[in-house]
Amino acid sequence: MKRKNKSLFITLALALACLMLLSACGGSSGGSSGAAPSEAASEPAAEATDAGGEDASSEAPSVAPGKKGTLEFWTVFTGADGTSMQTMVDAYNATDPDYTVNHRAMDANDLYLKLPLATQSQEDVPDIAINHVERLTLHSDNGYIDDFTPFLEGSPVQKENYNATLWEASDMSGGHYGVPLDSTAEIMFVNMDLYEKYGGGALDDEVVTWDEIEAVGDATVADGIIPLGISWRRASWLSGYGQLGGTMTQDGETPVLSDAPSIQVLETWQKLHDAGYTQKEGDAPWELFLGGQVLYVLEGSWMLNNAIESGVNYKIVDFPVYDTGAKGHWTSSHNFVLPRNDARDDEKTAAALDFINFIGENSMTWAEAGQIPAHLSVVEDPAFDEMPQAFIAQSDDSTLKVFTYKYYGFAVESLDKVLDEILYGRMSIEDGLAQAEQETKDRIEMEG
Amino acid sequence: MKKLRKDKFTPYLFILPHVIVFLLFFLYPMVNGIYASFTKWNLFSDPVWVGLENYKTIFFNQDSTFYRQFWVGLRNTVTFVLLCVPPQIILPLVLAALLYLRPRGHRLFQSIFYMPTLFSITSVILTWLFIFNRSLGLFNKMLGTDVNWYGEQPWAWTAIVIVTLWWVIGSNLIIYVAAFSGVDRSLLESAQIDGAGGLRRFFSIMLPSIRFPLVYTIVMAVISQFNIYGQPLLLHNASEPIESVTVLLIYIRKLAFGTGNPIAGMSSAMATCLGLIIGVVSIGQTIILRKQDD
Repeated sequence: MKRKNKSLFITLALALACLMLLSACGGSSGGSSGAAPSEAASEPAAEATDAGGEDASSEAPSVAPGKKGTLEFWTVFTGADGTSMQTMVDAYNATDPDYTVNHRAMDANDLYLKLPLATQSQEDVPDIAINHVERLTLHSDNGYIDDFTPFLEGSPVQKENYNATLWEASDMSGGHYGVPLDSTAEIMFVNMDLYEKYGGGALDDEVVTWDEIEAVGDATVADGIIPLGISWRRASWLSGYGQLGGTMTQDGETPVLSDAPSIQVLETWQKLHDAGYTQKEGDAPWELFLGGQVLYVLEGSWMLNNAIESGVNYKIVDFPVYDTGAKGHWTSSHNFVLPRNDARDDEKTAAALDFINFIGENSMTWAEAGQIPAHLSVVEDPAFDEMPQAFIAQSDDSTLKVFTYKYYGFAVESLDKVLDEILYGRMSIEDGLAQAEQETKDRIEMEG
Repeated sequence: MKKLRKDKFTPYLFILPHVIVFLLFFLYPMVNGIYASFTKWNLFSDPVWVGLENYKTIFFNQDSTFYRQFWVGLRNTVTFVLLCVPPQIILPLVLAALLYLRPRGHRLFQSIFYMPTLFSITSVILTWLFIFNRSLGLFNKMLGTDVNWYGEQPWAWTAIVIVTLWWVIGSNLIIYVAAFSGVDRSLLESAQIDGAGGLRRFFSIMLPSIRFPLVYTIVMAVISQFNIYGQPLLLHNASEPIESVTVLLIYIRKLAFGTGNPIAGMSSAMATCLGLIIGVVSIGQTIILRKQDD
């Protein structure tokens, strides 16, 4: 009897151990059971990079439905701006609307992967989503998003309420595909304490030229300060490129990335890097700026909160120029879009527009997070003038370099791969741009 | 008679769960993947049969991005296998041999060496990411150097190999410790009496005694390092890993599951090629290593 009990106990213990093993395996790998973990390692790696975005969206709490239901709202606002958006959504839900709004934030790459999947399969399609303006051409062409035009008549969302350039950026293919929430700009942060010491009056005319940056190089480097940090290389390239008139394409289809503006931008970068005036590879320029070791850093207006929290004595100014008469910075814009959703009837669409209008009118909260709202009521509010990013909203619309090339996504992703190699001298400008262009072309070919 | 028949089926019942899992999660996707490699497919619409076009592109079309991605990826993967597998076998062997001597606290050391294998890839990367940071990292501060561990070769490979070895040594170590424990101590003692030194005893008695686990771990190490993905993908602080560490699996995944429409056909073709290469290498290894023993 005793022996039987013992073997039963062992069986149970083994079964329990197997269960635990399976659940542990399930969490991390594809179930490789005790083979060299390096095998299991490669699989969980694939899971890990997926899991980040997945978990965030699937664990987001659901909002209590309104009288008639909820609207599903997907955004790219993970991070500090996500809290601001959630505050605004909560404020809308507090007005007791017929349809409450459920805000789901996810990584931009995840959203741009899920949106086509959802709209094509018509399963779990959100009612409203945020898209960057550059994506609208491709998404409207592929039928992922609906034209706003038939719904705008009689709705509170009207062109006159929004910045004209940003509104018009979503006019395409004879329709109107987005309502702008804000504009985001790639500009320059200046450490004013360091500027006092080394700046040499570059900001007297309110804008810094590339030559002026070069001029302060030696003095700053001698004291261990980095003159210029180039943080997000893609956006910095886009700003310089846009300033010089580049548009990524001549005919709207074929990518042209190795034109004169592009080469000029990269030559400027290489010159500064070779002279030792930019960050070294492996340095994190933004973090070093927050630590007070960088004089000028090229970053986005959306990082404003970071700068405020760090306590650095900063100022934001226009992106550096080649010619003081031709300012410009890469501008993107978060737009509300209506994903193609057969289950969204007119009533729901009207509710969505109601929500969009509410957010627009109440986007002072958004401005306080360092964003530049597109709704004119906020921009024209005197309280907005006090904010550091106000000058961007007040600058001439010609400085807003918005790219609407259909295959913008492919182009910038191909560029991402070569910009660092070019900046740090591992690849020539010619080879790098040729590679990026070829990759864009190959991906376009695979589209059709 | 009845008892015999029952016994015939029971073994199959035992292996049935694993076979089902194997068929569903390995064989079916593999066949599907091979089929996909002959198509042009964006995962949403139906695949379009294109025959050998994908393979022609990656093998012959020198202008194509996919040709470049395949060959660069393959070169980087093979480099990594060559850099990582020898230490991955030799280091645990040495450690296991030392542990065999049963020094004070050998069980504690065993546990310590094994612990890294329990971590997931993300934990491993998080642990090491700042250690290799250029301006603020431990290594540069300690060594007083200014090495760019992520952007320059040979430091990028060095960092990845160090992290990988730290992570995977434990599992091979346990296998070798267990295998060595089966070695007959009397053999070693008599060899010692006959005048054989430590190294001689190691190479002539201990190693041959564990040849089956050794062959197994070598083959498995090669297969798993051909599948390297996480470390080069995550161990950097730019927006992407640099080209010279971008291994083939990274390109494969990006093509199928990157932004923009998936290019699943081309991705499957690359994956099929990688699978074939791994298969050929593993079979070749097994034959050679087994032959040596006979």
